[in-house]
Amino acid sequence: MNALRMLVVLLAILICAAGAGLFWMTSTGMSARATPGPLESYLGRSVRNMSIPKSARSMKNPMTASPEALLEGGRHFADHCASCHGNDGRGATEMGRKLYPPAPDMTLPATQNLTDGEIYSIIENGVRFTGMPAWGGGGPNDHDTWHLVLFIRHLPDVSRQELLDMENNNPRSPAEMQEEQKENDFLNEQSK
Amino acid sequence: MIKLFSMAVLVAMLAVGTLAHGTDKHVMGVVTKITDTEVSVEGADKQVTVVKLAADTEFVKSGAAASLKDLKVGDRVVIHAKPVGTDLIAHEVRFGKMPAGTQAAAH
Repeated sequence: MNALRMLVVLLAILICAAGAGLFWMTSTGMSARATPGPLESYLGRSVRNMSIPKSARSMKNPMTASPEALLEGGRHFADHCASCHGNDGRGATEMGRKLYPPAPDMTLPATQNLTDGEIYSIIENGVRFTGMPAWGGGGPNDHDTWHLVLFIRHLPDVSRQELLDMENNNPRSPAEMQEEQKENDFLNEQSK
Repeated sequence: MIKLFSMAVLVAMLAVGTLAHGTDKHVMGVVTKITDTEVSVEGADKQVTVVKLAADTEFVKSGAAASLKDLKVGDRVVIHAKPVGTDLIAHEVRFGKMPAGTQAAAH
C-alpha cells in the first residue's frame, strides 16, 4: 500500500514537473538567446555527470604533460575545439556564446574539477542537448583525446605566446585566408 | 531520491523540448600618432583613422606578444577593431614583419 502511495506521489510529481516544463517552454519559447538558469545548469551538469560510467570516470591519463604533448594538444584544440571554446578555453567566441547552453569557461573549477576520465568521456562521447559533438570512437585509448585532456588541464596557465601559436591552427575560410595573406603582405612590405 | 527527482525533472523538460565573423573592422596603414589611449593610422587613401585602445587590447610584433611601447610612429599596422558607437576599439594591433608561414589571427 505504501509502495502504491509512493508511486502515485512520484507520478504526481512527474506530471507537475512536466506541466511546469511545458509552461516554461511555451512561455519562453525554444530560443537559444536565453542563458540557462542556475537550476537548469545544475540539473544538466548533474545528469551529464551521472551519465558517465564509473569505469570511465576513474580512467587516468596515460600521457604526461611534456611540452611536446601540450603543443600537440594545443594544436588539436585550436583546430577542432576553438571555434566554440576559443583558443583560451573561455568560450568567448561568437559561436560559443550563442550556443544553448553557452560554451563553458573551461578554466573554471566546473571543468577543472572533473576527473581526467570525465573530460575524456565528454570529448569522446559528446553531450546530448548541447553543442558538444562526440569526437571520438568511444574507446579508452585515443591518444589525440588524451592530449586534449592534458591541454584542457593546462588552460588556466596558457600563455599569450601559446595562444598566438595556436592561431596558426584555427580553421579558416578561403576568404579569411585571403584577407590574412593581404594583411601579412602589407606588414612584410615594411622591411623591403 | 534527489538524484532521481532531478533526473525526472530534466527528462520531463527535455522531453517537452524535443517536441516541440564577426563585425570587426580591419584597419591597415601607417601609424601617424600614438597616445596611451589611441593610435592614428593613415591608410592607402591618405585618410586617417583613429582607433581607441582598451585595457585588453593585445599587441603582436612579428607574431610574438608585444606591448604599446614597441609600436612606433611610421610602423605599418593591421588593427582588428570593434565598432562601438562612432568609435573603433582595438582588440588586436599587429605590426612588424611576419615570420614565414605565419597566419594572422581570425576574429
